[in-house]
Amino acid sequence: MEHSGLAHIKDLLQKQAYVTEPSIVMSIFLAKQLKKPLLIEGPAGVGKTEIAKVMAKALETDLIRLQCYEGLDAPQALYEWNYQHQLLHLKMDEQTDSSLEEKEKNIFSDKFLLKRPLLQAITHHQAPVLLIDEIDRADEEFESFLLELLSDWQISIPEIGTIQATHIPQVIVTSNRVRELSEALRRRCLYLYISYPTFEKEVQIVQQKVPGIDDRLGQQICLFMQELRKTKLDKIPGVAETLDWAQALAALHIDHLDKEIVESTLGIVLKDWQDIRQTQLSLSELFEKVGAISKLDQL
Amino acid sequence: MAQKELIKRRTALSANIIGFCRFIRQKGFRIGPIEEVDALKAIEILQPYAAPQDFQLCMKTVLCRSLQQQRKFDELYRQYWTELEKAVDSKVVESEGDGQKSKNSASQQPSFQALKSWLQGNTQAEKEEVATYSAFEAMGQKDFSTFSEDELTEVLQLIQMIARSLAFQFSRRQKKAKRSARLDLRRTLRLNLRRGGEIMDLAFQKPPRNKRKIVLLCDVSKSMDLYSQFLIQFIYAFQNAYRSIETFVFSTSLHRVSQQLKDKDYKEALTELSQSVPDWSGGTRIGESLTTFCKDYASKMLNRNTIVLILSDGWDTGNVDALKTSMKQIHSKAAKVIWLNPLAGNPAFEPSVQGMTAAMPYIDIFASAHNAASLRKIVSHLRKR
Repeated sequence: MEHSGLAHIKDLLQKQAYVTEPSIVMSIFLAKQLKKPLLIEGPAGVGKTEIAKVMAKALETDLIRLQCYEGLDAPQALYEWNYQHQLLHLKMDEQTDSSLEEKEKNIFSDKFLLKRPLLQAITHHQAPVLLIDEIDRADEEFESFLLELLSDWQISIPEIGTIQATHIPQVIVTSNRVRELSEALRRRCLYLYISYPTFEKEVQIVQQKVPGIDDRLGQQICLFMQELRKTKLDKIPGVAETLDWAQALAALHIDHLDKEIVESTLGIVLKDWQDIRQTQLSLSELFEKVGAISKLDQL
Repeated sequence: MAQKELIKRRTALSANIIGFCRFIRQKGFRIGPIEEVDALKAIEILQPYAAPQDFQLCMKTVLCRSLQQQRKFDELYRQYWTELEKAVDSKVVESEGDGQKSKNSASQQPSFQALKSWLQGNTQAEKEEVATYSAFEAMGQKDFSTFSEDELTEVLQLIQMIARSLAFQFSRRQKKAKRSARLDLRRTLRLNLRRGGEIMDLAFQKPPRNKRKIVLLCDVSKSMDLYSQFLIQFIYAFQNAYRSIETFVFSTSLHRVSQQLKDKDYKEALTELSQSVPDWSGGTRIGESLTTFCKDYASKMLNRNTIVLILSDGWDTGNVDALKTSMKQIHSKAAKVIWLNPLAGNPAFEPSVQGMTAAMPYIDIFASAHNAASLRKIVSHLRKR
């Protein structure tokens, strides 16, 4: 018998057309119950970000996203004062005879505060899903800053004071393993690793996301992708590429893969010139494998 | 009565979970009280009568913090619970007076004994096991020359970490300046003068992200042949992490290869290179090669922002004095001189004392780089600075 809480999460995910796995369901369930951030690692394009989106939809709340990049610092993630607005306001306020204190209080009020994702997340009217995407791209300094926020759930703004979280957001942190994350951050989070899906799962995903697709084409695409991932590539294509490809081929009303089609649409799947060239060279070999397997299927 | 049963069972279960936490802590997992509390809470949420696979998955989710740990977990989990079951069974059997039999079965199962003695608080044996357990750990002791593809990717990650930590090593020094100098007052005032001094636009400043420049000097002489795979990985990783990198290879003479390596598939370029450089796998004359470097490139390339990274085994058949003078010169001009010696970890290796001792005073960081463990050491070393 299945646990009711787990079944509920699974149900929610399935309703959002997310093909799931027990480990994903368990992670989301526990993250929600234990109120811990969820750290998701895995190669690019396996649906790490998608989990956050689906989760927000499933929980019927908003998704607030912080995209990390090299050089991201605290103000860009937290808040900034709207200087121009403040200056204009002061200028307009010049004629009135309000006291200095009043003016000061006025210009450092909520009105002039530009809320960036992290502040937005903790002052949101309901607990949102906060997605901190690709944390490994941000610097280590930012990571430690984030640690502070994740444990205290408060932000202090010198001009206003400390802002306490109204609701603790459900945090999802994703990483592509470009950089090793600190032990401290790992320990704060629950950990989930998502790898490339199995053939069966990938077929399911394609069928879910590209509803009109020919069954045989979907299987062929997935088989081809599975074989392609086994070859030595610089940038291994993820599920996102599979879906793009499936969508493109479906739009072209193609019902089976052949060499010509693959060759002309390879740019959808592979985004690196070297990879494309290499795959073109070994295409017949790949095709033999895919063909052999799909023939076996038909027997 | 039924309720009393339940509580008792749950207590036993919690004790087992704590036991399991301590068991995997011995196996190298970092498990503290917080994790233990999480595990207990999670089980309580899941209720003790959940399906066994849910229970296992739950523990895995709560207790693992990395992919490596996840890979180890299932085996450890199986080990613990099967042994625990056996332990419980054998207790029952023993209390029934059939001690002989259970002793026999125990002696057939060394891991059972280990666990039993561990459960009794004897952790000595376990600790010894820890040292040899992880596959990754074992790799730490293996020379690069005998690596498989899979292991190489792991090593490649380490090298990339080194490259990255070198790149950002000094960025912390600028942190304060960055915070205090965010608003560029001078430019702000000038910008707004045209509006009669009314400050409307603000100008900001931020110190440039001062990436270090790297000069990579690579020994490709015969004695380094064994490590060519490693060398190529090393150059490859650095080229990826840095925009401004100059790469030289040398054996009997120096060759600048930066241009050849650019805009090409790297692995291909290096294979080409090994064929086009005339003295690849030749003898070593570090002194002469470095002198050439000093004469032709040092004044242009070296400044206080440059790290010089030398990859060589220090075998020198050339002029020791020349090595000394050129090292001195490089040291005085560059921010840092790092010498990585891939052969230093090999027991059969005897350093050419003369060459190495001559260069030693002018090296800021000297490290052996013969396996993953030594690379990891370098990473932590660089992190500290």
